[in-house]
Amino acid sequence: MKKRKFALAVPLALAAALILALGVSTGSARTQKQSAAFKAAWIYVGPHNDNGWSQAHDKGRLYVQSKLGSSVETTYKENVPEGSQVSQVIESLIRDGNKIIFATSFGYQSAMVAAAKKHPDVKFEMATGTAQSANMAEYFGAGEDAIYLSGMAAGAATKRGVIGYVVPFATPEVVRHANAFALGAQATHPGARIKLIWTNSWFDPGKETKAAQSLHAGGADVLGQNVDSPATGQYAEKKGIPWVGYDSDAQKFAPKQWLTAAVYNWGPYYLRKVKAAMNGTWKTNFYYGTLKEGFVTLAPYGPKVKAKTKAAIAKKRAALIKGKFYEFAGPLYDQKGKLRVPKGKRLSVKQLYAMNWLVKGVIGSAKG
Amino acid sequence: MRIERRLRQPWWLTVVVPVVSILLAFVLSAIVLLLTGHPPLKSFHRLFDAAFIANGALTETVVSATPLVFTGLAAAVAFRMNLFNIGGEGQLYGGAITGATVGLLLAGTPSPLVIAGMILAGAAGGAFLAAIPAVLRAFFSTNEIITSLMLNYVVGLVLEYLIFDSHSYLRDTTGFEAKVFPQGKTLPDEATWSSWTIHGLVLPLGFVLAVVLAVLVWILYSRTRFGFEVQVIGDSPRAGRYAGMRTRRKILAVMCLSGAIAGLGGASQTGDFQHQLDPRALRQANFGYTGIVVAALARYNPFAVVLVALLLGGLTNAGFTLQGADFPSGLVGVMQGLILFCALGGELFVRYRVRFAW
Repeated sequence: MKKRKFALAVPLALAAALILALGVSTGSARTQKQSAAFKAAWIYVGPHNDNGWSQAHDKGRLYVQSKLGSSVETTYKENVPEGSQVSQVIESLIRDGNKIIFATSFGYQSAMVAAAKKHPDVKFEMATGTAQSANMAEYFGAGEDAIYLSGMAAGAATKRGVIGYVVPFATPEVVRHANAFALGAQATHPGARIKLIWTNSWFDPGKETKAAQSLHAGGADVLGQNVDSPATGQYAEKKGIPWVGYDSDAQKFAPKQWLTAAVYNWGPYYLRKVKAAMNGTWKTNFYYGTLKEGFVTLAPYGPKVKAKTKAAIAKKRAALIKGKFYEFAGPLYDQKGKLRVPKGKRLSVKQLYAMNWLVKGVIGSAKG
Repeated sequence: MRIERRLRQPWWLTVVVPVVSILLAFVLSAIVLLLTGHPPLKSFHRLFDAAFIANGALTETVVSATPLVFTGLAAAVAFRMNLFNIGGEGQLYGGAITGATVGLLLAGTPSPLVIAGMILAGAAGGAFLAAIPAVLRAFFSTNEIITSLMLNYVVGLVLEYLIFDSHSYLRDTTGFEAKVFPQGKTLPDEATWSSWTIHGLVLPLGFVLAVVLAVLVWILYSRTRFGFEVQVIGDSPRAGRYAGMRTRRKILAVMCLSGAIAGLGGASQTGDFQHQLDPRALRQANFGYTGIVVAALARYNPFAVVLVALLLGGLTNAGFTLQGADFPSGLVGVMQGLILFCALGGELFVRYRVRFAW
């Protein structure tokens, strides 16, 4: 009986010895091999091929790789949980010689801030965040403008005037996106109501399907989403109700029911920043991409979008680009009918980053 | 072909079988790697380099292993008595909540006092949560697997409620960043648990505490009457009763001990690493459930729990290092799975033997 207690200790010790031997023998080869290519890395919260948020970033990474060719070596880490694990991932990326790191989920911010302090020679880029420093830049874009336009497609498609919207976390980013979606839907279907269900996860196909199910059961005849996977769309296709996606063109998951989606084009920003890091002109910034620059746009329409709707969306899009129209310009009322933005006023980016109230017609809580 | 229990276990089996299983894991993963066009030796080297050898890798491995030692011990302590406490996950959350609360409440007092307070509060929080299924089991013969498992979801929702859905004491409501994403209040500097650096290897207080606990659990279970009685009751409750052992008390004590250890793990997460109550990080990590795997792999031996936790922690960290644009994360999962599967499967041949009979 006694010997059994060490059953694992002995082999583990042996394995450790083996590993050390292996490490020492190949360790010297490792240091000699110095790759000439500039190394850049991305960190994703979901799979790189999630057909949503992370995939849009990965498309940007591939764009950088194809534009700069063999002079850069790009890599990514996927399914990295938000929390203490990410610091370890960042450290290992730096150990591997990456000189610029793009973190693409909000929950990585505190680890990024700590790593930026520790490694002043590495450039850090934080998507959707707020903390900026000498070697850490922030970047995102006016997703809400494109989401507003996608909401118009949803509003035009609803008959009952009830649209379901699957949402991840009750953060200002998601709240403003839900608001933009609702305002867009109300532009084409006055009085439309938007029902929210929170999944408390950026990427969770199981929970997203359940949310879509209960939204449909609750009377929604069009579905939209601010989460990362196309699970809502697959459910919508099965049930024969129209669907508005998010982040990436996911028409293939719902060929008949696909309307459109607000999508991000991260590539040009990534290319600019990687190039700058390579030639030493990298500077910190708080980048907020726009519709005009093509940073955000609409994915191609599905078969269900009528020509009339397309024309209406095109008109609003032109007005948004010219600055003649803005969805977050007053008068705007909240869920209880209280005037939040008076006529003639518009919300600033800083106010958008702290938005914690939902517009009139949205059913759900901004607290999650 | 028949599989039968070995009456005697030759000593060399405990060496040969695990070594062969680890080699088998390497061979099997090498086949998968070759089929998918990756160099096996280089991949293995990178895996172990990232887990244990590279500069600072061992420190990161210890960080990942620390919570697993706690939850592994928590599971082992209860499972020894055939008491299946699946609630380590929730008890860890509980300890994180009470630990963070005390850390915030005691702000301004000397650091050792704050840390001691957090340790006690974490243990108490975990023990309290474990006491619920313990009482139900001891007095009403409820199945503790179900009650402790269900409590995980309850505590998980409480955890999210505290930060996401309410303006609780633990939530930070000031400052721009807290408005952008709901987050817990940052603990004061006094509440940062100490750590020691030995030759570049950073040992956090939580890890040291966990190792001390492993020694204590070993002493408790192999050198005291309490431990003896627990194992008798675990092997045969009727024999225990016949010998006049107090089963109910043992159930309560063992469950609370198990819960307290898991709760300590939660306090260590906030005190050692996160420095705020972070529901998403805690919930995504699945420390409690992984702890059950650790305990099973270690066959409930407290020292083996420490080693297995280090192995699992290293494998997790290495997995993230290994994956990348040219190495899919699924393949990393296959390698980790094969190593664990072979290690566990090999155990069978230590206890049983295969007889070919016609």
